[in-house]
Amino acid sequence: MGAEKKIEVEEPRIGVFVCHCGLNIAGVLDIKELLEYSKTLPNVVYVKDNRYTCADPGQEEIRKGIKEHKLNRVIVAACSPRMHEPTFRRTVSDVNLNAFLFEMANIREFSSWCHPSTPQEATEKAKDLIKMAVAKARLLKPLQTIEVPVTNKALVVGGGIAGMNTALDLAEMGFKVYLLEKGESIGGHMAQLDKTFPTLDCSICIEGPKMVDVGRHPNIKIIANADLQSVSGFIGNFKVKIRKNPRFVIAENCTGCGECKEVCPIEYPNEWDMNLGVRKAISVPFDQAVPLVYTINKDYCIECFKCVDACGARQAINFEQQPEEIELDVGAIVVATGYDVYMPYDNPLLGYGKYANVITSLEFERLILAAGPTGGKVVRASDGHKPHSVAFIQCVGSRDKNKYPYCSNFCCMYTLKHVVQLKEKYKQDVEIYVFYMDMRSNFKGYEEFYDRAREAGVNFVRGRVSKILEVPETKNLLISAEDSLLGQPIEIEAEMVVLATAAIPKKGADEIARILNVTRGADGFFMESHPKLKPIDAPTDGVFFAGACQGLKDIPYSVSQGSGAASRAATVLSKPKWKIEPIVSVIDPAKCRNVNSKCGICAERCPYGSIKVEEKKAAEVITAMCHGCGTCVAECPADAITQMHFTDAQIFAQIRAALETNPQDKILAFLCNWCSYAGADLAGTSRFEYPPIIRPIRVMCSGRVDRDFILEALRLGAGMVLVGACHLPYDCHYISGNWKMKARMDALAPMLQKLGLSPERFRVEYVSAAEGVRFAELIREMTAQLNALGKDKIKMENEKLRPILENMLKRKEKK
Amino acid sequence: MPLKTLKQETANALTLEWILHIKNYRLSLNKDHCVGCQICTLACPKEAIKLVKHTKIQGQKAKKATVDVDLTKCNFCGICDILCPYGAIKVTVNGEHILSVVEKESFPQLVRDIQVDTSKFPVGDSKCEEACPLNLIHIARLTPDGNVVEDLKAVSRKDRKKLQVKIDVEKERCPCCRVCEYKCPEDVMHIRKFVHGKILIHPEKCPEGCTDCLDVCPITGALYYSDEDKKVHADEMFCVYCGACKAVCPVEEALDLKRTKIVHTPVRSGAWNKALERLASPVEMSKELKAKGSQKAVVSVEKRLGWKSA
Repeated sequence: MGAEKKIEVEEPRIGVFVCHCGLNIAGVLDIKELLEYSKTLPNVVYVKDNRYTCADPGQEEIRKGIKEHKLNRVIVAACSPRMHEPTFRRTVSDVNLNAFLFEMANIREFSSWCHPSTPQEATEKAKDLIKMAVAKARLLKPLQTIEVPVTNKALVVGGGIAGMNTALDLAEMGFKVYLLEKGESIGGHMAQLDKTFPTLDCSICIEGPKMVDVGRHPNIKIIANADLQSVSGFIGNFKVKIRKNPRFVIAENCTGCGECKEVCPIEYPNEWDMNLGVRKAISVPFDQAVPLVYTINKDYCIECFKCVDACGARQAINFEQQPEEIELDVGAIVVATGYDVYMPYDNPLLGYGKYANVITSLEFERLILAAGPTGGKVVRASDGHKPHSVAFIQCVGSRDKNKYPYCSNFCCMYTLKHVVQLKEKYKQDVEIYVFYMDMRSNFKGYEEFYDRAREAGVNFVRGRVSKILEVPETKNLLISAEDSLLGQPIEIEAEMVVLATAAIPKKGADEIARILNVTRGADGFFMESHPKLKPIDAPTDGVFFAGACQGLKDIPYSVSQGSGAASRAATVLSKPKWKIEPIVSVIDPAKCRNVNSKCGICAERCPYGSIKVEEKKAAEVITAMCHGCGTCVAECPADAITQMHFTDAQIFAQIRAALETNPQDKILAFLCNWCSYAGADLAGTSRFEYPPIIRPIRVMCSGRVDRDFILEALRLGAGMVLVGACHLPYDCHYISGNWKMKARMDALAPMLQKLGLSPERFRVEYVSAAEGVRFAELIREMTAQLNALGKDKIKMENEKLRPILENMLKRKEKK
Repeated sequence: MPLKTLKQETANALTLEWILHIKNYRLSLNKDHCVGCQICTLACPKEAIKLVKHTKIQGQKAKKATVDVDLTKCNFCGICDILCPYGAIKVTVNGEHILSVVEKESFPQLVRDIQVDTSKFPVGDSKCEEACPLNLIHIARLTPDGNVVEDLKAVSRKDRKKLQVKIDVEKERCPCCRVCEYKCPEDVMHIRKFVHGKILIHPEKCPEGCTDCLDVCPITGALYYSDEDKKVHADEMFCVYCGACKAVCPVEEALDLKRTKIVHTPVRSGAWNKALERLASPVEMSKELKAKGSQKAVVSVEKRLGWKSA
């Protein structure tokens, strides 16, 4: 009905390759049945099964099939296209078949992995998935990839140990690097630490020289005290806007001598020192700061201008300094924004903030540090005396279902470091207790370090602390816990308590995620493209992660990932040109309304401003700027726009194939590639089981989902129709495609209801790439609703709707 | 990183604290000593201090305004402490009353010129002690062997001549109103005001029978009620230009209060210039700058305010 009736010059000859994936697929689905079924599909001239299609022999089978059977379309029924589509595209192009004449049927993540207990239904679903792929494949057209030039400079966001390593490695490879740091100095959390486990070498002594190297490297430009404002463009061609906040000190003139600091009368709590000590209103956060430029904190400065006098002829102080907007062109972006530390003010049982002698581990770090506010003396806040007994409490906030369910990775080790340091410093003079759930010391040299702490005579108590109370007279602390090894409650009095609090996503990570169009997992850390095989890549091409922002890591692992990110970024930067997928929009000037009347809807709805509309002329797509979301295609009132590889005809064919048999029992779903499809993939990968009644169609963006798709699906009698999109307001990979879809569907839904459709039969849902559980739950919920409605009611509604919908779709065709 | 802070308020004190591990910054306001004037609110460089006005209850005396300090804005610089004419605010670091802004010469101190000539003091007199509206003068009479005389009447006229007189003035809390000087018949007290200015109550605007300003004025005699026109009048002689009256005056522009000069220790400081600008006026500040010969600073002020000095 909506399909183009163009006859292909060459009759399609389709080969279907069904993958066993070991037992991953073959263990649930009946491969033989799938093969037999595939043979019956139109234009299929060859079928073959492989144990592992992605392995060399499997790929060779495809190449052989193409040559021997003159295949001009290839379908692999295996895993998710998000996994191996690029692999098989290469395979087919090896034997000169255009890469875009290849299609995948996702029978692993979408069938065998998520429906293991209903193999028969799962096989039926797999058949449908193959049928849909064949339907689309028949209409596939060869496409040429588009090449864009690459700017061979990089932006690294965050100057902690991970970001510094990325910057240094890239700079050493010869690329220009901009290192953006939010704070006044690079160095990150590592610069705050006293010593590092398990070797107990001084943190700043090993990091300081690296900081200086970064500061001095001719290929690195540090942009400190600055915020990331916006990022536009695409891989190889990002445009970055940065706001450099005023220091009120002119960096070029400041010599870092510190004479201004001497005369400044105002002190304020030094956040970098965990607010244990103070700094002057004009100062650097710590002596080794890079760049060594002083900053005036106007929140505290009283503007007595004594510093201006002290600075004298150097004239480095400028109270009128304004924020500076910087624009950069870069080819790749590495995000290394790090983590924050949870401050347990909201846990009344532990008394943090209430009792003076309860501190966090990072505060303890600043206390035991020789250059810290107490000169390395561990003293109690209540009386300034050295404690004779200290209790360390693990997993404060971490591994806590009500707070942060994940393990913070490095707390066990730094607590071991603290107890060893404390024992070495005060010998027998201090009694130490460590309350832990499990001691995790699972890397090189870590277990040995644990032994060292045990041998030093530290008391390890396995059990969770239930509460801490203060003894009012002595300000000592009474810790109640259960010793789970002895199986009895214990109470210990200590003069100081140190809480190993959770490490949490950096404040502002949501903002960074929005600017860079990357998603965050349920724990708030950035989501990598693939948990195993692409742990450094962001889902957005050309963006990479390093360090704790992606998941908590200790120093050696942050350094490794920093170098890893540098090498990943170099794969982009080292190329003069980058290939982008030709899944762009194309406008048919013969159909465009703008020639005769003023329209321009496509240009208005395009999230990237990549459509040019001039009066009395057909609209035009600027191909290099088109990201291929397909929103304009769905919005065009004249159906004049086509998205290559996701044409109306292809999607209509998929819809019809999916709903050929028993449509009333099925949920037809349109899933956006980046969130909902990935969420459904994750449900499969995680083996979350849900009913096998869904027939998903992959679109790049929910913005592509034309209202006609919904009408067609309902005309054919689909039990339910689902549109899955990225979460509002900012998760959309294409900035605002989900919003455009929402506006469209918000108008459509009430109309359908008026025509007699039960509201639950058409749904728009938002599922992120991290929400596998939610996807499975959603399908379970929808299935229950479908059953509650009952076949008869659905069929009755369909009977009533069909003529109206047919009419609507006919009218469209006349245009 | 949240800071450990504390803000406590009781009936007669307001305390603000930064609790660092080994350092403690504290600002304490003695509510009994505070008269609800405007000085600290105007002087605070961080605009952390707000004057809270209280509605008058019919038939009762007007209530003095009170002061509230915003813990998120206060930087414990101590400028309010320095400038409070009544010594109601104390800023301490680790319990010590050392003000860094004074030490580093980035803010001046008020000059309280209070001279007491005990030699002229008539032993039996206590007029000045009684005159002080804030009870800051304490007179002690000592016998030659150093004992304090409790009951003067018990001492014979002859012995009285041998008594030594000690006059103690709580200088920190003295606003230098000069009431004691005026009341003293023997020229014992010599006080110079540290705030100069002008006060005028416009009779045509001042509501008849209203004594709100008089109710809150801490200085006896600075304001007085005239039965003739049933209005309050000001006496420049004793007024210390603190502005407690202006804070409660119900009619806008009925009360004109201007500070023209503040006597302080010599200093070169932008912070002081700004404080003076707010306490007095840009004109007064530029006068002071001119007197100091800081022509450059005058120009920059003119530029900033778009205002031209005469």
